[in-house]
Amino acid sequence: MASQPSDNTEFPPEIIQKPLALIGLSGLDTINNAIHKTIWDAFSNNRRPDRASVRFKLLNNTFEYPVVKPKRNSYEWYIPKGILKKNWIPKRISLIPAVIVIFYDMEWNDPQCNEKIIECASRVQSIRAAVEGHATRVAVVVVQSGLSPPPSEYMLGAERAQALCAACEIQSKSLFVLPHSDHLMGYIIRLENAFYDIAQNYYHHETKNIKQHRDHLNKTTHQYLFVRHQFKLGFLNEMKQDFSTAHKHYMHAFNNLLETRQVDTNIHEIRTVAGYLNYKLCKLLFALNLPRDAIAQLKNHIERYKSRIGPTELLFEHYAWVARQYSAFGELFDEAIRAGLPAIQSQHPGFYYQYAAQFTVKRRQAMRSVCCEALQYPAPPDPMEGIVEFYGQRPWRPGRLSADPHDPQKEQGAVLALQYNERIFNHSAMIISFLGCAISQFKTFHSPRMRKQLVVEMANEYYYCSDYGKALTLLTHMLWDYRREKWWFLASHVLNRALQCAYLSAKVQDYIQLSVEALSKNIQVPNNDKNRIFRNIMSVLNCTIPTPEPDIPNTSQNKAVELWHNVIEKDPLLIAIDMVNISSFLEVKTKFLQSKYRMDEGIVVEIYVRHTHNASLEIKQAYLTISSNTETIEIQITKEGIPCFTIQKDKVHRFLCHFKSNPQDIGSQLHIRNVSFILEANQTRKIIFNFKIEDNKSTNLFVHPELLHFIMKPKTDFEFDCIVPSTSAAIMSRECQLSMSISNNVPALQGEWFPTIFTITNDEECPVFEITISLSLVSSHDNPNPESVTELSLKASESQTQPLTINVANINQSSSYSNKFYLKSNKTASIMVQIKVSYFIAFNETPRLQCMKEFLTKITVIKPFEVNVNFLDLNFKPITKCFIDDAFIVLPQIKILSPWPLVILDTELENIDCLEHCDDESQSCIKNLEVNDEDVASDAVCLRAKNMPKDLPTRLGLYNIKWKRKEETDGLFVMSTTALPALPIDNCPISIEVNYPEVVELQTSVPLKCVLKGNTNIPVRLNITVEGTDSYMFSGYKKFSVTVPPKEIVELCYNIHPMVAGNTIPPRLKATLLGDSSRQDAIKEMFEKNFPHNIFVMPKYNK
Amino acid sequence: MAVCVAVIGKDNAPLYIGGIGIDTSTDNELSRQWLVHTALDALEERLVSSNTTTANTATNAARTDLRDLYLGLLYSTDTHKIYGYVTNTRIKLVLVTSSTSPSGSNIRDAEVRTALRRLHALYADAICNPFHLPGDQITSIKFDKQVKNLMLNNV
Repeated sequence: MASQPSDNTEFPPEIIQKPLALIGLSGLDTINNAIHKTIWDAFSNNRRPDRASVRFKLLNNTFEYPVVKPKRNSYEWYIPKGILKKNWIPKRISLIPAVIVIFYDMEWNDPQCNEKIIECASRVQSIRAAVEGHATRVAVVVVQSGLSPPPSEYMLGAERAQALCAACEIQSKSLFVLPHSDHLMGYIIRLENAFYDIAQNYYHHETKNIKQHRDHLNKTTHQYLFVRHQFKLGFLNEMKQDFSTAHKHYMHAFNNLLETRQVDTNIHEIRTVAGYLNYKLCKLLFALNLPRDAIAQLKNHIERYKSRIGPTELLFEHYAWVARQYSAFGELFDEAIRAGLPAIQSQHPGFYYQYAAQFTVKRRQAMRSVCCEALQYPAPPDPMEGIVEFYGQRPWRPGRLSADPHDPQKEQGAVLALQYNERIFNHSAMIISFLGCAISQFKTFHSPRMRKQLVVEMANEYYYCSDYGKALTLLTHMLWDYRREKWWFLASHVLNRALQCAYLSAKVQDYIQLSVEALSKNIQVPNNDKNRIFRNIMSVLNCTIPTPEPDIPNTSQNKAVELWHNVIEKDPLLIAIDMVNISSFLEVKTKFLQSKYRMDEGIVVEIYVRHTHNASLEIKQAYLTISSNTETIEIQITKEGIPCFTIQKDKVHRFLCHFKSNPQDIGSQLHIRNVSFILEANQTRKIIFNFKIEDNKSTNLFVHPELLHFIMKPKTDFEFDCIVPSTSAAIMSRECQLSMSISNNVPALQGEWFPTIFTITNDEECPVFEITISLSLVSSHDNPNPESVTELSLKASESQTQPLTINVANINQSSSYSNKFYLKSNKTASIMVQIKVSYFIAFNETPRLQCMKEFLTKITVIKPFEVNVNFLDLNFKPITKCFIDDAFIVLPQIKILSPWPLVILDTELENIDCLEHCDDESQSCIKNLEVNDEDVASDAVCLRAKNMPKDLPTRLGLYNIKWKRKEETDGLFVMSTTALPALPIDNCPISIEVNYPEVVELQTSVPLKCVLKGNTNIPVRLNITVEGTDSYMFSGYKKFSVTVPPKEIVELCYNIHPMVAGNTIPPRLKATLLGDSSRQDAIKEMFEKNFPHNIFVMPKYNK
Repeated sequence: MAVCVAVIGKDNAPLYIGGIGIDTSTDNELSRQWLVHTALDALEERLVSSNTTTANTATNAARTDLRDLYLGLLYSTDTHKIYGYVTNTRIKLVLVTSSTSPSGSNIRDAEVRTALRRLHALYADAICNPFHLPGDQITSIKFDKQVKNLMLNNV
């Protein structure tokens, strides 16, 4: 109960405390004996919930046990004076132990054992004498060092133990041995459980005693005793930890109490006891994990006693009692939840705290209606003095049961005393405390709105007890949420109360902020008197005291005026109000006219202000705050150049702000951050309305204005609602007024240094200076890595690293600058060249405004010509392979593709090592040849294979062409190289040389000589046949064998005689290799190739 | 007997709060608004829990469509019982009965359900008005009259 406020309805601690079996420990000298101290500590400290439900009490020798009342044999003439005696529970929980345990130090093998047994017995006896009349059980614990074995295995021990039992007159099961050497805690817990068993036994016995009384009672006079006995049974069972039986008895007591006759004199006693019984019942039900039953019990209890209000002049006592029932239940519920009971949103302790608060409010109302006259505490003797023996009885008439007041004057004085006490009682503190408990519960159980309501109630309570500062703090926090959810009615309620608080506590800042919000069209104010509020704002601005809010307590008003006197001309002189978060009478929308601005353009921001209150507002100054990456600037808002202006009611005002951007902000964004309106009457106080503008908020909650204005509304409203705020704008660099022209002879030819002339013309209105031109290649999709194949330079035939940079000091207005660059590409592609010009210009107060422009030019590169190579033998027949020492012709054909005429300066064949030129001094046959588009220039070079290459060559060599454009006169030429395709090289055992005339005359014999030469190191044997034709006669061996010796020659000579004119096929020799025939094919091909296929025969003219 | 009926928008802003009380003074209106506003706690809790269960069972969207719009008794105080209903567009309808009057305390669940369905229909009719702006408070006199009628008929 410590957390809750106290009053006289509070439950006494013995009711709240959980009853535990009481066990007295005697004979422990905890001060002088260290062993005893550890034993006591082991019993008393560290009582975790898993240990037995007992309470240990250290008894010293002088402890006095309550005296036993003489047993009553008959209840016939006994009239009880009250229901529950106040001293019974304390007696049970702290004075009468169920068990007294006597600790005694003794070893079984002690030489003075017998003396010790006698001493122990005498101690037992003295304890027995002290508790004479109580049924308290006695047990003996022998404290030993633990060295001797247990009595069961130790004859001497067993004997001595028996002797001790006999001497002390206790049963052997009430004798315990406690070895203190080690495992003390384990022994202690076992002992504890044993004591607990004995205690349970004791309480069981006690309940039996009480039950016996019942037969003697009768319903007419002993109604109270029925309640009392059942309560005692319940309590003893609770001590015994038998909760369900305890619950049963308490329930009986509760029902018996309901049956007792109730009059004004005993109502307080009855409901006090009923409250205790209900508390016990609910507590047990929670302990038995029956929360629903506990709630039902409380409901039943309240229902039964709700109407028993007692005398009207003490009505507040009834409400105080009800409130206490609820708060106590709330506490029990809360404890149960902390012990693991699950609770839900619709059933949790918060509700009960809330009820407690509500009934405390009723209590206060009752107090106000009945305690008006109790202005003074009654004169002594104090009726509240005096000791009462029973719970809930009145101190001025203890033990009196009669229904009529015994002493009317005394009674009246007592009522006055109670009323006076109630009058000075701080109800608000109690309500606030209950609400505080409830608020934390509602917060826990996901009821934020319920919590808010309670917070507002709490603030109201602070208001009633004149703690306006706290009330204001709470209310301003709550206002936020109601505003956000648009519960304007509730928000108005909260705001009006907050405004009262702000006025009463003279908090200027809050007062102005709340007043400004009160002027919003959403907020309703009392008497609809918004003009008064507006005037109040103006008064504060003028440093005069505002008029009081309506319905404020008179007592506080004078104090408030005093407070206002103190603060009105002091701080805060500057009152800044954040207008975005509150709903107010001013609305602001801002808009950049464009979403992008060039550097040289003036930036214009439109500001629209709508004023909905019906008084015009004098604005002294207004500012627009713009921020960029580098700076934040404030721009004054003016109306036609005048900084101070008036905002009319129900009108949308439009303001324009012009300003220039900072050159450092190129490429970044400008944001509107804030719009401030400053009100100022005289020089002292200022009120600033700040409209902070968030970037992300602009599109949020945007309703289509068309939809909003489907119904008739003022036109200006429509215009205002249609404005879409745009709070950011980008700053771009200014448009550059330079132009560029390119002059070149595209397409460029592959491999040449291609010149391009560019000309930059200054079209600006003033000179430009510090021009930097940078040239670079730009990759495109068909040419992703231009740098790898293309070179760029400012000089022909000299490569330079990119980008090329040219610095020019200045270019005057309308003049131009030219330069030339060269480009050489080894790839046929489109090449993009970027020309980036950056420069400074003196412009509009900016002495150095940097501008930049990029130009792109595209240069297409094509092949100048195509080279096609054929291989021919000396008869100009195409060949597919050549033989060693056998000459052949390479025939490159150059097909011109260039649209421009070219001059082939020279050509050259660079052969590989295994080949050689046949001509000693070769000169290109197409040297200095001028060619045009689609011409084909043919070259011819005779080559001969010298030896076999080591590995198969991939090409025969390189064909170099030196060329230039025809118009090129600078002596620059281009060397283009083409790789010649490969030709297989083969060898043959012999080489053949055939000599024959090209042209012969008919009927004239000519010689045909064939020279065979051995190429190998061994002789080659050949079988040679001559294949004759009809056109010729011939002489010589037709079929024979010949041996060609190594490196020697053999000549074969024939005479042939042509028979017909025209193209004829001469006789041919064919050879077959004798012996090793692997080279037969080569021999055959060699003969095939070298013998003439035709000879032209001239007819013979007869002269 | 229903003593108060409220229509609350999907962002929890009140669209209509009507009550037939003893008087229309501010205090009564205030307690009515508190009552409805705090009922939102319970409503939101129900909506959250029903949403999570559907999400957990991960059945199809059909289940959410078939969800009963009537949420039943939200909570009861000593004096009032508060019933809730949520449309598919998250418009919340709240009906408050008085537990002190005999007709209010003995009201059957089915009656409340019918009344709330009827209110839903009335609401749908009211916002069908082309001059009504969705999200605004319902100011229709006809709607007010019909709702008052509904509260009385449901005695």
